[in-house]
Amino acid sequence: MTTNATHAGLLHTTWGTLSSHYRRHPGQLAMLLLGLWVASALWSGVQAINASARDSYARAESLFSAQLDSVVRRDNQPLSLDAYLTLRRAGMPVSPLVEGEMTIDDGTHLRVIGIDPLTLPGESSLARQQSDAAALRDWILPPHRARIAPEQVEAARDDSRLPPLETDPSLPPGTLITDIGVAQQLLGVDTLSRLVVAPGQSLDLPPSLVRQSAAALASPGQLTDSFHLNLTAMGLLALIVGLFIVHAALGLALEQRLGMLRTLRALGVPGRTLVIALALELLAIGLLGAVLGIVSGVGLARLLLPDVAASLDALYDTDVASHLALPWYYWLGGLAVTLGGLFSAGLGMLWRAARLDILALGKAQAWRARLHRQLRLQALAGAVLLAVAAWLGWRLGNRPNPQELALGFAMVAALLLGASLWLPPLLAGGLGQLSRQLRSRPRLQWALADLQLQLPRLQLPMMALLLALSANLGVGSMVGGFRLTFLDWLDQRLLADMYVRPTEAQHADVIAWLENRDEVRVILEARHAEAPRLDAEGQATGQPLALFGITPAAVMQRNWPLLETATGRMAAWQALSAGNGIFINEQLAHRDGLAPGDTLYLRGPQGPVTLAIVAVYPDYGNPSGEAVLSASYLAERFTASPGSLGVVLRPDATRDVADLQAALGERFGLSGDAAVDQRAVKRTATEVFERTFAITQALNVLTLAVAGLALLTTLLAQAGARRAQLAPLWALGVSRQQLIGLQFGQLVSAATGTALLAIPLGLGLAWALVAVINVAAFGWRLPLHIFPDQIAMTLLLAMLVAALAALLPTWRLWRVPPRQLLQEFSAA
Amino acid sequence: MKRSTLLLLLASVIIAGLGKAFWPTAPSTHAGYAGLGEQASGFAQAGPGHTLAFPEDHGPHPDYRIEWWYLTANLESADGRPFGVQWTLFRQALAPETGDNHATGDAPWQDRQLWMAHAAVSTPEGHRFAEKFARGMALPAGQGQAGVTAAPFSAWIDDWSLTAESVGSGFDRLAVRAEADDFAYRLALIAQGPLVRHGEGGFSQKSADGQGSMYYSQPFYRVEGTLRLDGEPIAVTGRAWLDREWSSQLLGATQRGWDWFSLHLAGGAKLMAFRLRGGGEGDEGAYLSGSWITPQGEVTALDEESLRLTPVETRDVAGRELPTTWRVEVPARGLAVTVSAIHADQWMGTSFPYWEGMVTVQGSHTGEGYLEMTGY
Repeated sequence: MTTNATHAGLLHTTWGTLSSHYRRHPGQLAMLLLGLWVASALWSGVQAINASARDSYARAESLFSAQLDSVVRRDNQPLSLDAYLTLRRAGMPVSPLVEGEMTIDDGTHLRVIGIDPLTLPGESSLARQQSDAAALRDWILPPHRARIAPEQVEAARDDSRLPPLETDPSLPPGTLITDIGVAQQLLGVDTLSRLVVAPGQSLDLPPSLVRQSAAALASPGQLTDSFHLNLTAMGLLALIVGLFIVHAALGLALEQRLGMLRTLRALGVPGRTLVIALALELLAIGLLGAVLGIVSGVGLARLLLPDVAASLDALYDTDVASHLALPWYYWLGGLAVTLGGLFSAGLGMLWRAARLDILALGKAQAWRARLHRQLRLQALAGAVLLAVAAWLGWRLGNRPNPQELALGFAMVAALLLGASLWLPPLLAGGLGQLSRQLRSRPRLQWALADLQLQLPRLQLPMMALLLALSANLGVGSMVGGFRLTFLDWLDQRLLADMYVRPTEAQHADVIAWLENRDEVRVILEARHAEAPRLDAEGQATGQPLALFGITPAAVMQRNWPLLETATGRMAAWQALSAGNGIFINEQLAHRDGLAPGDTLYLRGPQGPVTLAIVAVYPDYGNPSGEAVLSASYLAERFTASPGSLGVVLRPDATRDVADLQAALGERFGLSGDAAVDQRAVKRTATEVFERTFAITQALNVLTLAVAGLALLTTLLAQAGARRAQLAPLWALGVSRQQLIGLQFGQLVSAATGTALLAIPLGLGLAWALVAVINVAAFGWRLPLHIFPDQIAMTLLLAMLVAALAALLPTWRLWRVPPRQLLQEFSAA
Repeated sequence: MKRSTLLLLLASVIIAGLGKAFWPTAPSTHAGYAGLGEQASGFAQAGPGHTLAFPEDHGPHPDYRIEWWYLTANLESADGRPFGVQWTLFRQALAPETGDNHATGDAPWQDRQLWMAHAAVSTPEGHRFAEKFARGMALPAGQGQAGVTAAPFSAWIDDWSLTAESVGSGFDRLAVRAEADDFAYRLALIAQGPLVRHGEGGFSQKSADGQGSMYYSQPFYRVEGTLRLDGEPIAVTGRAWLDREWSSQLLGATQRGWDWFSLHLAGGAKLMAFRLRGGGEGDEGAYLSGSWITPQGEVTALDEESLRLTPVETRDVAGRELPTTWRVEVPARGLAVTVSAIHADQWMGTSFPYWEGMVTVQGSHTGEGYLEMTGY
């Protein structure tokens, strides 16, 4: 009892004594909190985005997840009520579904789904709702009912067209479910979008209909996993960079309190009490920092989420709520990660406090030997990590697959960490070299030696800068390269000036009409179909393959990009035109290990079809495998119904796209989506692309800012000690301007050295991203582009960050009165 | 009367398929079993003054709330094993077919009729059943996912159907078919006697308060056809009984359920009898009614004075105590028999569950038939 009370009292006193340090140096406390705050804010922000998006996917998946198969028309046109009734009367347990978009009064878009609860397969969550007689009656009878996702319920309440609303938190954002008759009225249709059927049920469908298994429609969760993995990696990077700040601040706080700690130990405070007090201090600071960080992280996520949601919607057609929905574990997770990071950064401090040598006096020269040993160790560990990265890169560079995505990230981590560990030895080596060169320039030599002295302190912020710079460069190269390739590819793929989508009935008439127009140079017909893959023995394997029919006109042959061919472009196009060759996209080639020269077996409506793979083409942005045939062959062998028409205009035509659009509208009633200007398509695609990468760029900039902050905090932390070192020089007659110039020069050259290492590292990172991560995650490989202006920009950025970080301490030095410098000189 | 239970089933339609309560539950306005005792304002009411007319009354009566076409058959395979078959189509109007009924538009989905069907096969050892749901559709007669036409008679839901051979044959020659995952049947029915009107010229009273239903039967079918169990065809012959009933308020507000018998007796006579439970303590206040049908189709109505139905033995079925053996007495006809289920496992675990199965008759008369028990 007494012992415990004494112990608690001792702890209390020790804690009070220790924390008095922060009362005297509130700046250090602020720095510590700043580091924690920034690290935890970026990490929490990214996690908040991920958590919200995942919640949305989970809701989307549960909606369809009872995994209902779909039955649609082969030509993707809506189904008639008769077609549905015919199947029902033949005993097939299909249920009708109407889907469409509507815009409610305040401009919100809703995805409207109309169901027939009486026939909907029982286990799906769509069906689950109308559970008793009264509810079913309400659902079916006017004024009917609609269930809506909580996000839109307020906006939708004011729309008088909608039935009375029930909030249903299990619905994906932006979704409204109502009775099929109501949905038809809301959407202005009298047809059915598709039929659904429980997956186990066998169906005997007429040839005009095709079944799409639920499993074949990849879930948004899978599709977007890699997107979120990228975000998570960025968040982790930000966290690590932020922890550098924390580490620097903690190191400083310990360094300055070593004397106090020794005194306390000498006064009889047990080491254990000291460690507990320090740990408690860490915990208190950590909690405060984490709370601050999580709160701002949520704010950051709010800021970024609309962009993320828009990108995911455009890329993968998944609805993500544009406001946050955070599960409880998100909050705990953020706290745990921040505290974990803090304790990992503080572990060194606790360790040293625990093993404190009471009698140790300042050993001025001891640090040199220690530093050398430490640098050797770092160089060794870095070498091991880089070797691991190289080995992984060699292994994954050939044929990475989605299962190895994690390995890809491990490779990137090893590369970054290894390079960071190498940074201080390289800088030390470089400085040593330089100072030997500069024997005749004593002041510069001193500056270099002095910089070496600062290295143990500066190494962490420099590592942070290295990471931020190389991430900036790597991601920048990837985005830039992607953009070049993608825009190029868009140009090649969107050959026609205009795309027309006539109805099946109009199709032939529209072609005939277009052919008679003077300004039309060529019509590129496209068709879609789907066919089950067969193995060589004729057994169906896996999912059906999407087939895309194109018109092998001369303009198409010239422009359509091909990555690999069996026997040259000419031969490939001849085979395609003749109907015995097929092109496959890169994703299919990659996933199934197919190459030109292989054979593809498909089941057509009239029996098995065997086709030679003659080329592989790039297909950016498409998550699934696809193959290309000539449109006429596709129509003949796979009964593909008519699709869109690409219209290429004569370059010298007097009439333009707008004229043709107007004429088509007048003659066939085709407008809006049925007759689009190619420029509009390209603009949309480019917008999607830009938006996707805007998020990455934003995180990038933030990371760089954090690195700058790390540098600043370190400089501020050591400013006092530095003054003591600079005071003698001043006293020896070096002018204050020169001292400041030297300081600036030291930092900028250290930053330049760091940036020089960041360049190869950034390029390595870019290679890892385009050749490993992208291929594993998306199935397409981008050419590696190097942008010299970007590299120059990185160098400049490094110097700028260093200069900015040095600004405040320098300004302070400038303002120090000579009297104080003299005092510090004498103290030194 | 039996089938009133099934009305309940209609209610179940609603429940059906739809699983667990998830929807904010509206306060139930239902009275009696499955809402069958609910007030029915706006609907036509069955009463003693109605005269049945055929073939019109074979068709649907959408201005009444509930209605069914209910077929049960006692069959035998070539090797003498007993089989039973049930085929039932229920109709329920969610709202009266009046005034604004079609004002919501002529879109096919805006109909207020719900359809539900049950099909079952009882084997010597077990029982298999299936159910289907559909909504009525404002489409020309004969189209739609489910429906009934009077002439030529046809009742269907999806690929299940009960259909007359020709326009003029009414109920005389029917074909019935159903197919589910684990059973299927196709049977041909030929009537050997006339239609039978129960109660007062077809009005069958269901409680002392006077509410009831329009109720007639064709109990004289000879049956021939094929069952298919687990892909194995089994040729069967036997007898079937078709009930037609419609009403807007079948039960009194306090009635809980019923026990209903349709028996084919040796010598050609038939007995329809039911007991509606509730309206008093225990079985007090139970309402008894029935029809004694001679081989020629002459009907004598039975009431609590002339009919006695006594549970003899109960069995535990699907977690409930059900009387699977009964004493049935009609003293005026010298009938005192024990009616027992061929086996207890003939539970219809449909969205609205009940017991419906083949029974044998022993005692003063022998015979076979069907027993239905609801509300347990």
